[in-house]
Amino acid sequence: MLSIKNLTASINGTLVLKGIDLEIKAGEIHAIMGPNGSGKSTLGKVLAGHPAYEVTGGEVLFEGRDLFSLAADERARAGLFMGFQHPIEVPGVSNASFLRLAYNKKAEAEGRDELDPLEFDDFIHEKIKLVAMREEFLDRSLNEGFSGGEKKRNEILQMAVLEPKLAILDELDSGLDIDALRVLGDAVNRLQRADRALLIITHFPRILETIQPHHVHVLSGGRILKSAGKELALELEERGYDWVLEASAAGGAR
Amino acid sequence: MTSMVVGSNLLVDLVRGPRPAEWASLREAAEGRLEGRDLPTTKDEAWKYTDLKALSARAFSPAPRATVDISAYLLPEMVGTRQVFVNGHHAPHASCASAVPAGVRFLPLSTASEACHALGTVKNGEVPELFEDLNSARFEDGAVILVPKNLKVTLPLHLLFLTRADAPVAVFPRVLVVLEPGAELELVEEHHGEGTYLSCPVVEVRIGEGAILRHERVQRESPEAFHLGTLKAEVGRHGQYHSRTLSFGARFSRQHPWVRLAEGAEGTLDGLALLDGQQVADTHSFMHHAEPNAVSHQLHKCIVDGKARAIFNGQVRVAPGAQGTDAKQQSRNLLLSETARVDTKPQLEIYADDVKCSHGAAVGQLDPEELFYLESRGLNADDARNLLTYGFAADVLQRVPVASVRRSLRQLVMARTQAASLGVLA
Ligand SMILES: Nc1ncnc2c1ncn2[C@@H]1O[C@H](COP(=O)(O)OP(=O)(O)OP(=O)(O)O)[C@@H](O)[C@H]1O
Ligand SMILES: [Mg+2]
Repeated sequence: MLSIKNLTASINGTLVLKGIDLEIKAGEIHAIMGPNGSGKSTLGKVLAGHPAYEVTGGEVLFEGRDLFSLAADERARAGLFMGFQHPIEVPGVSNASFLRLAYNKKAEAEGRDELDPLEFDDFIHEKIKLVAMREEFLDRSLNEGFSGGEKKRNEILQMAVLEPKLAILDELDSGLDIDALRVLGDAVNRLQRADRALLIITHFPRILETIQPHHVHVLSGGRILKSAGKELALELEERGYDWVLEASAAGGAR
Repeated sequence: MTSMVVGSNLLVDLVRGPRPAEWASLREAAEGRLEGRDLPTTKDEAWKYTDLKALSARAFSPAPRATVDISAYLLPEMVGTRQVFVNGHHAPHASCASAVPAGVRFLPLSTASEACHALGTVKNGEVPELFEDLNSARFEDGAVILVPKNLKVTLPLHLLFLTRADAPVAVFPRVLVVLEPGAELELVEEHHGEGTYLSCPVVEVRIGEGAILRHERVQRESPEAFHLGTLKAEVGRHGQYHSRTLSFGARFSRQHPWVRLAEGAEGTLDGLALLDGQQVADTHSFMHHAEPNAVSHQLHKCIVDGKARAIFNGQVRVAPGAQGTDAKQQSRNLLLSETARVDTKPQLEIYADDVKCSHGAAVGQLDPEELFYLESRGLNADDARNLLTYGFAADVLQRVPVASVRRSLRQLVMARTQAASLGVLA
């Protein structure tokens, strides 16, 4: 589904991604962990098409297509989704009308029928149940004044509406209370299917108990230093990152 | 006819116009002050960015009576609570006050001489502004609204001023609103028109102790019109005055909102201006914290496109002894073209020490992070831009309490921001 080869990218002239290789197949769940500032969010934003980042080398194929030949909105309509670490507030635009707009743009691109406000009303009510969101959040402006956790819930609502092939969830768990983490973890699991894939960026193994990854990668200094199964998350929790960095410096962590 | 020595054609023409007999002392005082006065020029600090040359080059005549089909302007919540004025004259057949609750006076000025003593008594300085004096000297009609003690009016009232100018005319709408202690009211004041004309409204508001007025002011004058408006509100102890001025029309508009807050009072002066082409919209506001523990809010937003220009000068005065003042002011401006211009300036005069005053001014383009967020959800760049521009303006409309007004303004904003095709109107 996603194939990243030797990807390098910079922002404001600083090289942040220094050669990433990653292969994600349909049906798989991957997790990326790593120290602060190691480039995790950068990887997500580069994949989603943030204009401030410059791709300086390498190649990314999404469902066989050159990802970088697509603009950010085309990537989204092609089935790529990024849940933001820090979702943006958009005053004056109601959550419900924004969700319907996003849904219809994607439906249009896929040649499906667009939903009118009434049809969308039924549709969205199923979706807000999935993420246990209260109805009043639909009428509020998009993310405006939402708490950190409410914004994350809204990101997963957007994911549920758009049903992406590949979802990159950047620190979904930060700012969530224990119940919300379980509810949203379950929601993400229910959205996962054999023809879809997930990339979970996190600092904590807890979320990975609900959304169980097939592969865990350690990203540090703009490179993936180690990849293993889900047990790696707990090992990192116990031992920290130093041993991975040291082993990598010694040339043997892989 | 009194003889006048005035420097510009505009003033000569206007002061030689008809001079209705009522309100004689108010008129005479205004005429006396107008004598020898001339239109301000860009050398006056308060008019630095707004050049009135285009105005002084024209001659305006008094506006004749006219009949207009007002069906397009009716608002469902207010069909029985409306007073309509066409070319400055009351239009009795277009008006309907059948649903106005007993005890509330909602009348044309020309039939409400009992309001005489109150008119012109809200004083916003030693000498009234020139355009306020012009109104006082020449107004022919307008509305009086009196709400008695503790009466909470549930239906909003609608004031509609329409101008139809086949040749350049001048209109001087006048409004007086008095809320007795504990009264509550929602008022929608609209200005619409066609042709080239000068509209010079003056609205005086007096709010008694604990009374609350919510005042929506919609300026949709014709694209060739000049609109020079004065608003003066005196808010009694623990009273509240909340107004929103929404400017869409006029080649040139200037708003002078002035609010005086007594102890514990609350005042809101929000504004939105959508400008394009050669439009100029200037707001010079004055928020006067005259007594302790009053709270004020100001959010002024402009979207400026083409060669248009927006000016905001927000004066806030905290009088000596007005401790516990809490004053907030935000001026936020969106520039959509390289040739658009915004000049914004907060002006704080604080003469007390225990006060909270915050102000901020921002002029810029759309936020790239917001654009990316929308694009990452599948909206193309144009749609994302239009949606954000719409949202920037619609933000000010969210709290408009009358549903039909809110809806029609959202539609207008949507059309002006090319967001109509997005279908985001809930
Ligand atoms: N606009 C920018 N200008 C300069 N440097 C930047 C910019 N944006 C990000 N960086 C740098 O890029 C590096 C990677 O940042 P990134 O946000 O990808 O880290 P992260 O792994 O997501 O960290 P965290 O775990 O704290 O979320 C950091 O050193 C950061 O300071
Ligand atoms: Mg991050």
